[in-house]
Amino acid sequence: MKKVLITGITGGQGRLLAAKLLRRPRRYRVAGIDREPWKHHPEALTFHAVDVRKKSVEDVIRTESPDVIVHLAFIRHFGTHPALRHEVNVNGTRRLLEFAVSHGVKQFVVLSSSYVYGALPENPSYMDENYPLSASRTYPEVRDLTEVDMLATAFLWQYPKTVITILRPVNVLGPHVHSAIGRYLLHSYVLTILGFNPMLQFIHEEDVADAVTLVIDRQTRGIYNVVGPGAVPLSVAIDQTGGTAIPLPELVVRPTITALFRSGLYPFPPGAIDFIKYQCTLDGSRFQTATGFKPKYSLEQIFASVRT
Amino acid sequence: MPRSARKKSASTTARTEVSPEGWLGSLLDRIAGTAPFDVVSDINAEVTARLERIPTQLNAYGYDPWGFNFDAMRRALVACVLIYRYYFRVETDGIEHLPKGRVLVIANHAGQVALDAAMIGTATFLESEPPRILRGMGEYWLPTVPFVSVAMTRTGSVVGTPKNCVDLLRREEAVIAFPEGVRGMNKLYSQRYRLQRFGHGFMRLALATETPVVPVAVIGSEEQAPGIANLKSLGRLLGMPAFPITLTWPWLGPLGLVPLPVKYRIYFGSPMHFSGDPDEEDAVIRQRVEKVKRTIQAMLDRGVRERSGVFW
Repeated sequence: MKKVLITGITGGQGRLLAAKLLRRPRRYRVAGIDREPWKHHPEALTFHAVDVRKKSVEDVIRTESPDVIVHLAFIRHFGTHPALRHEVNVNGTRRLLEFAVSHGVKQFVVLSSSYVYGALPENPSYMDENYPLSASRTYPEVRDLTEVDMLATAFLWQYPKTVITILRPVNVLGPHVHSAIGRYLLHSYVLTILGFNPMLQFIHEEDVADAVTLVIDRQTRGIYNVVGPGAVPLSVAIDQTGGTAIPLPELVVRPTITALFRSGLYPFPPGAIDFIKYQCTLDGSRFQTATGFKPKYSLEQIFASVRT
Repeated sequence: MPRSARKKSASTTARTEVSPEGWLGSLLDRIAGTAPFDVVSDINAEVTARLERIPTQLNAYGYDPWGFNFDAMRRALVACVLIYRYYFRVETDGIEHLPKGRVLVIANHAGQVALDAAMIGTATFLESEPPRILRGMGEYWLPTVPFVSVAMTRTGSVVGTPKNCVDLLRREEAVIAFPEGVRGMNKLYSQRYRLQRFGHGFMRLALATETPVVPVAVIGSEEQAPGIANLKSLGRLLGMPAFPITLTWPWLGPLGLVPLPVKYRIYFGSPMHFSGDPDEEDAVIRQRVEKVKRTIQAMLDRGVRERSGVFW
């Protein structure tokens, strides 16, 4: 029996993971925290409405005394003020990691993402976990998420007694969870850059939840890319999810997206443009070798699950 | 992948590829379908049949993990075969030296435009059994160029990082590299058939992955666009590694990029096997690199000596 505490449990991925764990009640007990209240949560789990920025989180950890913390409480959308994002994402993670270490939590799982590597022209097609995290070089808006990843890595080396697991899944798609690229893809008309059509990797939300369950079951320590069934060009992904690509020259796309973002009309930060221009695709073999992970959803099934 | 699945995927991609190379490609297909271009449709049929037999695995959408695409490659190959047979009238010798499975093809690089790479690739595709696609190792700035970035990956090339090369070789692909790089590509006419300094990277990768090296000498490319000067600083200003001046470029505009109709002769040498520590000091690696370089230089000297002329 393992007690699992999920932060940010009301988010799509949090609910999905909770449901998955609750299906095996003899193996897991689930608790969750979120800053939003969750009115009709499943009765089998205990829910605490607290903010990860608040000291009261420590009380929850003390009373629940979980074996595992799965940290999903991140602000990933860009409508939020950067200072708040930083406070929640970076300082929130630091505090949780510190509490976990001081309260003897056995495992701490952080759901990072493939974006931390950044989309750069010289990226090889399959970046492994040793590649530098260069996202903030061209994409300062996600500096906080890169910092979260590095922070967890620092704890990983500093506190070998706590099993710290950092998962970097590729673009997540599914009915409940969309990564930034997912949200971009799901518009009916999708701006793309004329003359660029990078390969994109996708993974289904259920497979991400499975990956988290797997590292909990096996107490897998370390940093892992979590890769789905494969890659297709951006144009194919847009078409397969039911959208229409509008390729325009970069000279037009960049100022347009910047203006739309500044005016709050389109939540696609200018720094993200490189992700539809250059590839940021990962080598998932380390995770496969360590856990035997195999994604259940094929590319066709992933696209079908979000097709409009 | 079974043949039927690949056929299906090829038609899917023809429909779904919503990018500019898509309509350019279908335009080419339409031209190829008309009566005066029987030659083209014959070549198209030949290329399609051979492409079905390449040992590369494609996914349900017709792409390999590096972005290689069946349909895009077919179109590119039709153009390449036309150039191969009717423009450069390529003669290929020693193709039987190309081993099955992983291999590093190392060749001389010249001619301002990378047609030598395309012609060596066409040779391995047309003359080798089974047909092989050569995976090119592109300069780091190529992915920043619109259309070039897409065209290079769809036709099997990748950015020339060590990781890409190792991954491709571990998947038993045939990789082509030009250790002279731009030093060879943009060399001046006076330096033709004199190999420039070789980079060492390919040898470390060959050692790390235990891959045989096949030396290749290309005769003809070194005269296709005689370089008069190389304005490196202007190139740097334009974000390119070189800015060559030839007899025709930039004087004739884009037309100046068209190479002279020289005759190509491509010689494949027997595979060279190396073993040892890939992290050895430069001096030790250099000895092995020099061995490959000397082999190619000897093949070049012999080819130039024995040929009947530059254009025939």
